[in-house]
Amino acid sequence: MSQITITTEDTQSTIAGRTVKIVHFTGQLDESNVDDRAKEIYAMITAVNGPLFLIFDFAGLEYMNSKSIGYLTDWYTKLSEKQGNIVIAQARPNILDILNVVGITQLIKSVASVEEAKVETNK
Amino acid sequence: MENNQNKNAEPVRISIILPTNAYFISGIRDFTLAMIKNMTQFSQQWAYRFQSVVDELCNNAIEHGSEKGKNITVTFVQYNDAIEIIVEDTGTGAKKCNADEMRKLIEERTKEGYAFNGIRGRGLSKIVHGWTDELEFSDLQNGGLRVRVKKILKKEDDSKAKEALADATHVTLNI
Repeated sequence: MSQITITTEDTQSTIAGRTVKIVHFTGQLDESNVDDRAKEIYAMITAVNGPLFLIFDFAGLEYMNSKSIGYLTDWYTKLSEKQGNIVIAQARPNILDILNVVGITQLIKSVASVEEAKVETNK
Repeated sequence: MENNQNKNAEPVRISIILPTNAYFISGIRDFTLAMIKNMTQFSQQWAYRFQSVVDELCNNAIEHGSEKGKNITVTFVQYNDAIEIIVEDTGTGAKKCNADEMRKLIEERTKEGYAFNGIRGRGLSKIVHGWTDELEFSDLQNGGLRVRVKKILKKEDDSKAKEALADATHVTLNI
């Protein structure tokens, strides 16, 4: 089974009423683990009332499969319904490549650093 | 690293039989990455792409084609100017599809403007179809499905090969 570690930290937003969390991914998201780990993200989305902005720090993410990308689009849809958003930060070239071929980078913004992502969540 | 094939040599074929369990798929991904980097002239970018192609094909075969307790077979065929990947299932899966159904599914999902609404469905039509030059389905005599993909090494890919060859992190496969 592939290993994936997901940790979350809160960060401040300059906009009142807006919740921003940084979600760090380390390891590989694939068929053997994605269904279980996706539940944690859904729980996070459900737990926050009001706009939730998630910064997905992909610096440590080595692999993601098509189902992981499917979940990513579903989380994006659910957050958009609550006037929230997802910003991807620090994705490796192979991760950006797969997000591009599936067309997700047209939907979800990807930036080079977590600091840039924080700026995006304050717009 | 030197490509280990002469121009007139027979293609190198490597077949791997895997149990129908997603647990083993990370191993086949590691193998794919190392094999493409070490045995072909494809760039590192393509090695990662083939890793995804193999992963998606194997996941589909496990989910749809072969029931629990059966196997799937993955075959790599290395030509001088191309790589071919073949994944076969046993046709015993509860959600199995035949070759005609797969062709129709790909035709539908690769139409411009097709909207993907669910979690699934992007692997074959976006990743596998997008990153290969040939995608072919055929029915096996045992009731299984055979999916064959081929990617031809193009000049622009060939130039990128230098980048991969300069990478000191390669693992050498003694095959």
